[in-house]
Amino acid sequence: MKDKISNYIIHHIAKQKIDTIHADDDLLADGLIDSLGMMKLVAFVEKEAQIKIPPEDLTLENFMTIDHILEYLANQSTT
Amino acid sequence: MQDQSKTKLPLTQSQLSIWASQKLQPDIPTHNIVYTFEIIGSLNTTVFKRAFAKLVSETDVFNITFGEDQGEPYQKKSSFKNFELPIFNVTGVSEKAVEKQINEKTLEPINIEHRVFDALLLQKQNSSIWLLKFHHLVTDAISYQVLYQRLNVLYTNLMVEEEDDQNVLGNYLDYVSFENEAVLREDFDEQATYWKEKSAQIVDEAKFYGEKKKPNTTAAERILVNLGPERLEKLKKLSQLPQVRGWTQSLTLYNIFMTVYASFINRVTGSDKIVIGSPSHNRNEPKFSKMPGLFVEVLPSYFNIAEQESFQSLFQKVKIESNNFLRNVSPGMVGNVKDHQITAVLNFINAEFPDFNGMPTKVKWIHNGHIDASHDIRCHIFDFEGDGDYNIAFDLNNSVFNEEKRKEVPQHFLLLLDAFLENLQSEIDSIPLVKPTFSDESNFSQEESSKTRTVYEEFKLQAEKNPNSIALQSRAETLTYGNLYQKVDVLASHLLSKGIREGDNVGLNLQRSTDYVISVLSILKIGAVFVPIATDQPLERVKYIVHKANCSYILSQKELPLEIAFTNLNLFHWSKPQQEDFKFKIPSDNQLSYILFTSGSTGNPKGVAISNGALNNYLNWAKKTYEIDDKSIFPLFTSIGFDLTITSLFLPLISGGKMIIYPEKESGPDTSLLDVVTDNLVNTIKLTPSHLALISDRDMSNSKIDIMILGGEDLKTVLAKKVKKQFHPQLRIFNEYGPTEATVGCIYSEFDETRHHQTSVPIGKPIDNTQVYILDRHMNLVPNGVQGELYLSGKGLAEGYMGEHELTAEKFLENPYRPQTKIYKTGDLARRNADKELEFLGRIDDQIKLRGHRIELSEIEAQLLNIEGIESCSVVVVSGNKPPNQAETTNCVKCGLPSNYPNTDFDELGVCHLCRAFESYEEKAHRYFKNDDALVQLLTSKREENPNYDCISLLSGGKDSTYVLARLVNMGLKVLAFTMDNGYISEQAKANIDKIVQNLGVDHVYGETPHMNEIFVDSLHRHQNVCNGCFKTIYTLSTSIALEKKIPFIVTGLSRGQFFETRLTEELFWDDHLNTEKIDQTILDARKLYHQENDAVKKLLDTSMFDDESVFEKVQYVDFYRYSDVSLDEMLQYLKDEVGWVRPTDTGRSTNCLINQVGIYVHKKELGYSNYSFPYSWDVRLGHKTREETLDEINEVIDETEVKRIMSEIGYSKDNEAVANSDRLVAYFTGNTGVSVKQIQTVLRERLPSYMVPSQFKQLNELPLTKNGKVDKKTLQQLTSVQIELDTPYEAPRNEIEELLEGIWKEVLKLDKVGIHDDFIALGGHSLAAIRVTARLNEEIESNFPLNKVFEYPNIEAYAQYVEKTLTELLEN
Repeated sequence: MKDKISNYIIHHIAKQKIDTIHADDDLLADGLIDSLGMMKLVAFVEKEAQIKIPPEDLTLENFMTIDHILEYLANQSTT
Repeated sequence: MQDQSKTKLPLTQSQLSIWASQKLQPDIPTHNIVYTFEIIGSLNTTVFKRAFAKLVSETDVFNITFGEDQGEPYQKKSSFKNFELPIFNVTGVSEKAVEKQINEKTLEPINIEHRVFDALLLQKQNSSIWLLKFHHLVTDAISYQVLYQRLNVLYTNLMVEEEDDQNVLGNYLDYVSFENEAVLREDFDEQATYWKEKSAQIVDEAKFYGEKKKPNTTAAERILVNLGPERLEKLKKLSQLPQVRGWTQSLTLYNIFMTVYASFINRVTGSDKIVIGSPSHNRNEPKFSKMPGLFVEVLPSYFNIAEQESFQSLFQKVKIESNNFLRNVSPGMVGNVKDHQITAVLNFINAEFPDFNGMPTKVKWIHNGHIDASHDIRCHIFDFEGDGDYNIAFDLNNSVFNEEKRKEVPQHFLLLLDAFLENLQSEIDSIPLVKPTFSDESNFSQEESSKTRTVYEEFKLQAEKNPNSIALQSRAETLTYGNLYQKVDVLASHLLSKGIREGDNVGLNLQRSTDYVISVLSILKIGAVFVPIATDQPLERVKYIVHKANCSYILSQKELPLEIAFTNLNLFHWSKPQQEDFKFKIPSDNQLSYILFTSGSTGNPKGVAISNGALNNYLNWAKKTYEIDDKSIFPLFTSIGFDLTITSLFLPLISGGKMIIYPEKESGPDTSLLDVVTDNLVNTIKLTPSHLALISDRDMSNSKIDIMILGGEDLKTVLAKKVKKQFHPQLRIFNEYGPTEATVGCIYSEFDETRHHQTSVPIGKPIDNTQVYILDRHMNLVPNGVQGELYLSGKGLAEGYMGEHELTAEKFLENPYRPQTKIYKTGDLARRNADKELEFLGRIDDQIKLRGHRIELSEIEAQLLNIEGIESCSVVVVSGNKPPNQAETTNCVKCGLPSNYPNTDFDELGVCHLCRAFESYEEKAHRYFKNDDALVQLLTSKREENPNYDCISLLSGGKDSTYVLARLVNMGLKVLAFTMDNGYISEQAKANIDKIVQNLGVDHVYGETPHMNEIFVDSLHRHQNVCNGCFKTIYTLSTSIALEKKIPFIVTGLSRGQFFETRLTEELFWDDHLNTEKIDQTILDARKLYHQENDAVKKLLDTSMFDDESVFEKVQYVDFYRYSDVSLDEMLQYLKDEVGWVRPTDTGRSTNCLINQVGIYVHKKELGYSNYSFPYSWDVRLGHKTREETLDEINEVIDETEVKRIMSEIGYSKDNEAVANSDRLVAYFTGNTGVSVKQIQTVLRERLPSYMVPSQFKQLNELPLTKNGKVDKKTLQQLTSVQIELDTPYEAPRNEIEELLEGIWKEVLKLDKVGIHDDFIALGGHSLAAIRVTARLNEEIESNFPLNKVFEYPNIEAYAQYVEKTLTELLEN
């Protein structure tokens, strides 16, 4: 999942040309991804993880870094 | 990437709409996008020029041109052109001149076939202004940012002579190809569906400040607003709150501004369902993120503003909506939305322009003076410098926002933004947008300082001045002012002698007559209060009014059965009694002058108490305004109980003028107006707009009327124009508005053809001493133009409602804007238009919402009136038959009849009205029934005529008919069994039948017809069951066999309960001396009619034998169970023992017929109860079934899948179901149109949105009017869909007999209204209903009209004439 997400970011939504992205990189810092990109990422994650993320979960706390996203997903599958 | 240098590419979705818009208005620079960059410092212009030339040559957007191939637009990369940047030295030139130059450049048309951009450089003392202009087809805001940054790099590198990468920006045409292909992408479908569904949502038509945009207007002004440091600080703070914060600061701000913008739109348009367009930047793919070109697509966001919505709750909606928006945007999506829906745009611009080679730059987006033709308003939010200092620019379409409004828009927007910043919890509609400063004088009219005389004093003055002038004239008598004065004196003295004193309330139950006028003046003379009570009211209402108004005395023209003293003026001697020593005292302003009763929403009229001050205020103003003097002649022809009549009653008498009195007609509608215009004696008239319809076909060009005052109803501009044409050019038409509670009229306008183009003539401006307020729900003043509720205050307000303190307090409130005064809540909607005239927009209660659309009925009416030939019209909303409620039904504790059976009434013990009524004739009913011996005797009575068979026995194979057959055989009769094969008899039932006839040894024939399915469908439409059609087929086919085989009797197996469904009615047993022969005769008469009904059986089968009535002598129908009394248990036992009958199990029900359940299903679905409910309840009542057995059977579960299969098999579908079951618009109109309904519909479709086009139209001879002369909408709403579709026009009963017949028909046919031309059969009348209406009529007027007359005279008008003729003949003999 981690690779899928970073690939998606690098090839589809990054505003700058980057080769790699770290799991703890702040996605929204320095405009790497804008809000449009974030929602594309949300859609991508939903599709990959086969879940529906409710509006109230669409927060920075859950999506700031790839780690955060993975953690959020992990919580979803346990609850 | 492919080489696109020679390829013609199609346009992107976004480009297409811009291209089309430009094509529509080629000369308008709406799409010229111009930015200027003022670079502060010393710019090397030579290098700049080189850098720019390089930028142009390396970047494709500069070099794209557009063309057209057979109407299809394309774009292509043209050969690179050398562009030399023009440089102008503007040192020393004024700012203004520079601005002008920029402006001119901005507006210069762009020839997109040649070059899509332009640029220049203006050199100033210490700065240079670089102007870059593009056609919108190839640019957006980010594109400018990208180009600016690239130029910066090019310039910087050239300055240090550094080489540069070629073409780092990429080719826009690659994006174009990408977008063109995007449609084929896999996830495109999902997103496209999102947008399609979104844009299918219903939105309110947003009328900003009540104004509608004129089509194809683009001229617009841009208003710039700086938010200022204080607000920015608060914004920053707000945007950091966790519940507010979004993915990015930009998104957070966007959400905040979107919330404020939506609130703003809601407040200044009154719309709840709002759509706002906003551009999506669409540069999500990394390869496009830094590319110049047009990427943005404007896509909609939808908000449904709830009642009491707070900023916070709306913000949450916005947050979710914008996340969904972002999630679903992608190149090309705009092709899936209806962009004409979007009239408001929020453009949050995310473009920043940093320093240029170290020099600070001031960036401006130059307005081109235009806006997209589809947009009313655009709100741009931007921070070009990137320092957090956000600015707002509003682009406002000038045809929507006039100069005043263009100033108000930013004010109102900021008020809401500030309220949001102040407190998230505030309700968005609690924020006042208008400060009650009242600089606007139109709210107030001049205060009159001088004390005015009372009505009576004014009259007295005239009487003294011109005692010989004629004051009153009627057919009966003419009175001069002197005569009138004397009579008033006499009656006043009489009243005094009866003990009436100042402040007492006196009822006037009088016809329009000199008596009435004398009475009013006498009462006013002694300072008492008059209470007009029109004579055409039912006694109950008169009693109510007298009681409620606390009348101490009554003046009438006849004996009144009231417990109150009265004088009958017809018997009054007009001689002066002994003068009592009484000092007349002039009543003070706050003493009452009259009490007038108007209809109240509770059903009881409410008495509005009007003071002398209020009355005087109106009359003095009216006299002055309408220029009433001693030459004025008014007719008194409208109801005395209507406050409109006050004008005609007093104005002539206080001015020395003349009144011509037209009394009410003895019966029927009051058509006095026709006499008024025929006599042509009056020059001033007060009436309702609906009255005018009565004289619409008259030549009025020679009318003496030159002042026409219209009141009581909305005045349509078309009508005013028509009247002006119909009369003569000198005619002045005044539109007067005023609830009874504000004394006759309190707002008025004079119709001015040159100014009044709205649907309705504005009601205008307040009269003297009257204040008008238009307020919202929170009693805030609404901004000018916005619709709100009309409130009134001032001298004209009533004192309140008689004896209704609560209601008075509810409607007459403390005036928040003028302490210590009252304000009256009218319940009317109004707005103040751009001319500062008030426009009436209908009753709040009448505000129509149909399937989510807000509809103004008056707008539809105005469009109808525009159609040549339509003279008057009224559009009403008719509520559909709500799906019957099955959940809450109970069943009669005795018979099991469900409570949703029509007109059912259960008593407190839970017993239905049928059971209760049956108690009274049960004994008589049993006399109808006979015994086995009588049956045998009857069936063998004609044996000599046919030695082969005594009778035909109808055998369905069910228990009842099998039992009949078995018993007949058992009785020793010679029987031919007949079975109708309707195509749906179950296999087991058929086997049963074959076995039975074999076992019993009887001859047996099957009847069948190829038309059975059509008959079923017809029966389902007519009776909501299949049995009726099937029964009739059986009778028809079996009669034919009986005739052929000369068999004299046909025996049915109808249950006793079914007798009451098909043959017997309660009315038959009303006769004290029950005569079964008479009942039999009636039933036979009904049967004859039954076979003449024009249904599918009559159309499809050979029914010619019924044309000859002798058939009913040759073949008689005998109901077995009339003679035989058997319980279910006994029957089943007999069948088991004697016949070997088994209950079929393959029908899923207790029946042997598979299609039966279709009937039950349809009946339940449409009427809410099973068609067996009624006959079974009779079976229980007659002791043939238990309640439990009945309930089990009528509550049986139906196999819906099977039912639907059979329905489609027989070809049954309910076309009109959707129409009949939902609320719909119905248009009634009068006039000689010569055009079909279809054509009317077509015309309306061209002029109105489809949801406003009525689904039904009905032409009437006249619109029904209320007693006050207003259109009677209630009656129009009560007609059923079937009645509307009748060819005949609706007309209400005109006399007593017609009214009596209508009453009976309504009850029997279960309708709210029956027009006198409506056809009995078309209304659903059948032979049983004929029995009932005839019996009821005979009972009512003690006569003996035969049954078939209902069919001979099938409408009320014809039948009434027949009744009248018969009665007259009877009297004469």
